[in-house]
Amino acid sequence: MVKYLAKRIFYLVLTLFIVTTITFFLMKLMPGTPLTNQAKLSPTEQQLILQQYGLDKPVWQQYLSYLANAVHGNFGTSFQFSDQPVSYLISSRIGPSLLLGFQAMVIGVLLGIVLGAFGAIRKNTWVDTTTTIISILGISIPSFVLAILLQYFFGLKLRAFPIAGWSGFMYTILPTIALAAMPLAESARFVRTEMVDVLNSDYIELARAKGLGKLGIIYHHALRNSLIPLITIIGPLAVNIMTGSLVVENIFAIPGIGEQFVNSITTNDYPTIMGLTIVYCFMLCVVLLITDIVYGLVDPRIRITGKRD
Amino acid sequence: MKLSSVVKLSTVGLSSALLLAACGNSSQESKSKTIQWQESANLPTLDVSKATDHVSAETLSNSNEGLLISAKDSKVAPGVAESYKVSKDGKTYTFNLRHSKWSNGKPVTAKDFVYGWQRSVAPKTASQYSYLFDHVKNATEISKNKAPVSSLGVKADGDYKLVVTLSKPQSYFKYLVTMTPFFPQSESAVKKFGSAYGTNSSNMIYNGPFKVTGWTGTNDSWTLTRNKEYWNNKATKIDGVKFNVQKTPSTALNEYQAGKLDAIKLVGAQQVGQYKNSKEFYNAKQASTFYLELNQQKDPAFRNVNIRKALSLAINRQQFTKNTLGDGSLPAVGYVSPGLASRNGKDFTKDAYVKSGVDYNMAEAKKLWAKGLKEVGKKGLNISLLADDTAAGKNTTEYLQTQFEQLPGLKVTNQNLPFKSRLSRSQNGQFDIVATGWNGDFPDPITFLTLFTSDNSYNNGKWKNAEYDKFVNNAEGQDANNTDKRWNDMVQAEKTLMNDQGIIPIYHQAQPYAINTRVQGVQFYPTGSGLDFRNASVK
Amino acid sequence: MADNANKLPKDAFEPLSDGSHLDNERIAAPSLTFLKDSWRRLKKNKAAMISMYILIFFIVLAFGSQLIPSVRNIATHPNLNNLPPRIPGIDIPGFNGTLVQGGQRVNAYTGDAANVHYWLGSDYLGRDLLARTLSGTRLSLIIAMVATFFDLTIGVTYGIVSGWKGGRVDTFMQRIIEIMLSVPNLVVMILLLLLFKPGIGSIVLVLAFTGWINMARLVRAQTLELKNQEFVLAARSLGQKPWKIAFKHLLPNLSSVIIVNTMLTIPNAIFFEAFLSFIGIGVPAPAASLGTLISDGQKSFQYLPYQMWIPAIVLSLLMIAFNILGDGLRDAFDPRTRE
Repeated sequence: MVKYLAKRIFYLVLTLFIVTTITFFLMKLMPGTPLTNQAKLSPTEQQLILQQYGLDKPVWQQYLSYLANAVHGNFGTSFQFSDQPVSYLISSRIGPSLLLGFQAMVIGVLLGIVLGAFGAIRKNTWVDTTTTIISILGISIPSFVLAILLQYFFGLKLRAFPIAGWSGFMYTILPTIALAAMPLAESARFVRTEMVDVLNSDYIELARAKGLGKLGIIYHHALRNSLIPLITIIGPLAVNIMTGSLVVENIFAIPGIGEQFVNSITTNDYPTIMGLTIVYCFMLCVVLLITDIVYGLVDPRIRITGKRD
Repeated sequence: MKLSSVVKLSTVGLSSALLLAACGNSSQESKSKTIQWQESANLPTLDVSKATDHVSAETLSNSNEGLLISAKDSKVAPGVAESYKVSKDGKTYTFNLRHSKWSNGKPVTAKDFVYGWQRSVAPKTASQYSYLFDHVKNATEISKNKAPVSSLGVKADGDYKLVVTLSKPQSYFKYLVTMTPFFPQSESAVKKFGSAYGTNSSNMIYNGPFKVTGWTGTNDSWTLTRNKEYWNNKATKIDGVKFNVQKTPSTALNEYQAGKLDAIKLVGAQQVGQYKNSKEFYNAKQASTFYLELNQQKDPAFRNVNIRKALSLAINRQQFTKNTLGDGSLPAVGYVSPGLASRNGKDFTKDAYVKSGVDYNMAEAKKLWAKGLKEVGKKGLNISLLADDTAAGKNTTEYLQTQFEQLPGLKVTNQNLPFKSRLSRSQNGQFDIVATGWNGDFPDPITFLTLFTSDNSYNNGKWKNAEYDKFVNNAEGQDANNTDKRWNDMVQAEKTLMNDQGIIPIYHQAQPYAINTRVQGVQFYPTGSGLDFRNASVK
Repeated sequence: MADNANKLPKDAFEPLSDGSHLDNERIAAPSLTFLKDSWRRLKKNKAAMISMYILIFFIVLAFGSQLIPSVRNIATHPNLNNLPPRIPGIDIPGFNGTLVQGGQRVNAYTGDAANVHYWLGSDYLGRDLLARTLSGTRLSLIIAMVATFFDLTIGVTYGIVSGWKGGRVDTFMQRIIEIMLSVPNLVVMILLLLLFKPGIGSIVLVLAFTGWINMARLVRAQTLELKNQEFVLAARSLGQKPWKIAFKHLLPNLSSVIIVNTMLTIPNAIFFEAFLSFIGIGVPAPAASLGTLISDGQKSFQYLPYQMWIPAIVLSLLMIAFNILGDGLRDAFDPRTRE
């Protein structure tokens, strides 16, 4: 276990290193500097500004110092906010994003499990059809369309929820729904397929033959065994939520990192883009690591030795 | 955790969420004396030396105050300076300061101005607005690191008298001192906060009618709260203004209609159309012109005046502003924007009007185009049209593309980029035609006209005209103290530019707002800070 | 002993007369290839078939309409902008040229526009929204197809090579995939898009860069299984060249995995293009994609809802149809569902 963990963490670090390196050199290829008013500055002033951002040194030196700083969680200074460290920018805005992402994941997956399970148990009835329709819609309607519609109808027309902003639980509901739709649909589909398989398997037949109650069978045997594989799609779902958060946060004016990421792109705030890229990778790596470990713990068929397949 | 407990927990969580959702239906409209104002971008800094964008200008001009403040009709009103005198040669300004206080209770003195100005000019501050000081004695030398900061032509004579020495007369200097880089700064505060100065609302001190509160440096809202130490605090009628960043215009509109915001910027023809005839509508005029620059260095064909004129004549500015933009922007009447400056009651643009420079005549355009192509010996042109990736930028390129392609042999491809990328491309000459805008810094035509002298760094198209240079130089130099001659120089400069079609003006931008009728007395200025809550009131 | 055999009477064995015995071994069902069988099962799935017809309809319409000059070159009519849908002879609110203004339904087709019919309305430059939507659909489909092409070439090749070679090569190639998987693909796309000139080309490139991973993983897993089966072993021992084995033996057996996964790649590609265009780094104007149309329409959704509804519905329909067809294909290819 320790060996496996060490290996995984080594790969995590390697991944982050590669990502950092690639991002750094990509950003160096892009036009644009922190100078917004280049034309009117004297060469001395331009030099000084570049110096403040550490952009006057040769690229390899910039790279090394960026790496060294990044290890300490220092991603440089934002171009957009003057004198504001990128790390502060991220840390002060990551809260809402994490909260929304977590809420969307939990609600999406739990509701998905319920829907998928019902669909499987009542296979080929109207229940099954309804859940299938819901999950197909959830996968097919892009989150940005859903967010706009939710805001318009539930925010403006019905006044049931705040239209946008971030001050309290009420404000999280619409964006959470917009973000949760995809995980909900995906996990409902997944659980349904798994559970149909499980319900057809021999040990369920055996349990039935032993005279166990229907609910008991579903709850103790079918559901459990269908849920274990669900852990493997948590990673992809997290990617999904991250993607969605870029527009959903923008539409609902949530002060999170997704909104900031889009904002940094349109303002050419390269240090922030780089910092956020690394943070996104880190979060995804951690989610993948955790799901792998949990999977190894709950599935007796998989022994953690560092080898899969 | 056992699976059963997960299921139980989630059931409880979900049902309570739904319950709460059902209860939260009571949205109450705010009747408070705080105005809820939409801002379309984040606040980047509160450091007055480093502020360059409109958001920080709008906040800082209400939270801090310079010697003078902007007033209606391109006038200035006393700010920290009760009065001022200009010497005969126009080179020495003496300001008499009133006894006023910083938000921390310390007095605002002439030394704070000296320190603030020196800090704005000092190269190590790297203020991107330091060029505004170029008429102040030694400022240019200081910014090039060739003179010590202390040699700047601003001196404190006691605590409440400030003497400014200019290197040459500048009739519009009074407008400059209303701008943020000219605000006073307390040396002790700058030293105390160090590199964190101005990076959040508590690392800054204020001498204006409001203090900034609730800004963490990165969040999406901040508040202007009444500053009890302000010298004219009794005139302030509101408790404050809360700025809410809302980047999506449709969301902002939804929030406005729900009563969550008191004022929003209207974007696009639909939003404007809906409010155009309402009492809530306010069209804030801006000293702003959007124009095309033709890159004469990259495409020699643009050196031909007939080709430049043909392109200009192919644009139906009336139709574009009315139907396509539809947001209250005006068709261009020239390069300098209308309503900026006037003499004897006559607007500058009337005096300097050149019809052919902003007219629409497709037949004439085609004729000149054919003639121009013949002169440069070409069958056609393949050009790219660069503009911002904003809604208005996209409208512009798409509209111009259809108009230009009616000229035989002209093929246009569009390129819409984020503002900073667009800027760096235009400054590096990586474009054929670029649509760009200029907002006047102060209410004097010279803020526009200096841009197109031969060696100006904003002259991206590299249009050169010796006569134009002469007129602008005279207005800035030998005629600076003679109002009539100076005016005439500027009129001639504009006429020269338009007759030669050095640039192609398209429209003058406006900023339409929807403002709840409970809010009264907010002042909008076409130049500089733009927004003033000093006289605002709430019903 | 040996002699005994000769002593069997002549009539000990009797030749069978009519060959009717062959019937006992006869396969009653018609002989079907794998693909034929799958097709037969797909045909029974009504939802999937409807989806397929919808898709064919969209594809024909989107590409066929390009033959009409007014669709290929969409003209702008700044005087006829923002007109709501009006279809001649239909008087349903929403399609009769009226729109709600200040709480009342008014006819928007006045003045210059009195005799014009925009079936799905016009946009802010007076461009026909029907033509724009068709072009947008075509663009989305083209992007999807090109992305699929890369998915097939890169993904399948990568998967086969990785699975076939095994050992160190496989480990190394899988590490690369693992690293790529731990970077959110949207982030990769955005970084690359910042670098390239915005346009259809770069979007396709960016999709190609990230889209093939899933395919590669599935193909590899399948290849690992196949490579130890007898027919491959036989081909190998007969000295067949590896690339020939790949083409003749592996690919046909991988076809179901590939087809099913392709059907899931397509909606993904469409979605990502729309997403990138929506946040403003997708196809540049004046080219229309469904994403840019939705993004434009969203700005005036309150007043001119049709400008967003139409592209949004088309986009969602495309996604739904591809997803359902994909599901249907998966079921059809899955031997477990065989009756």
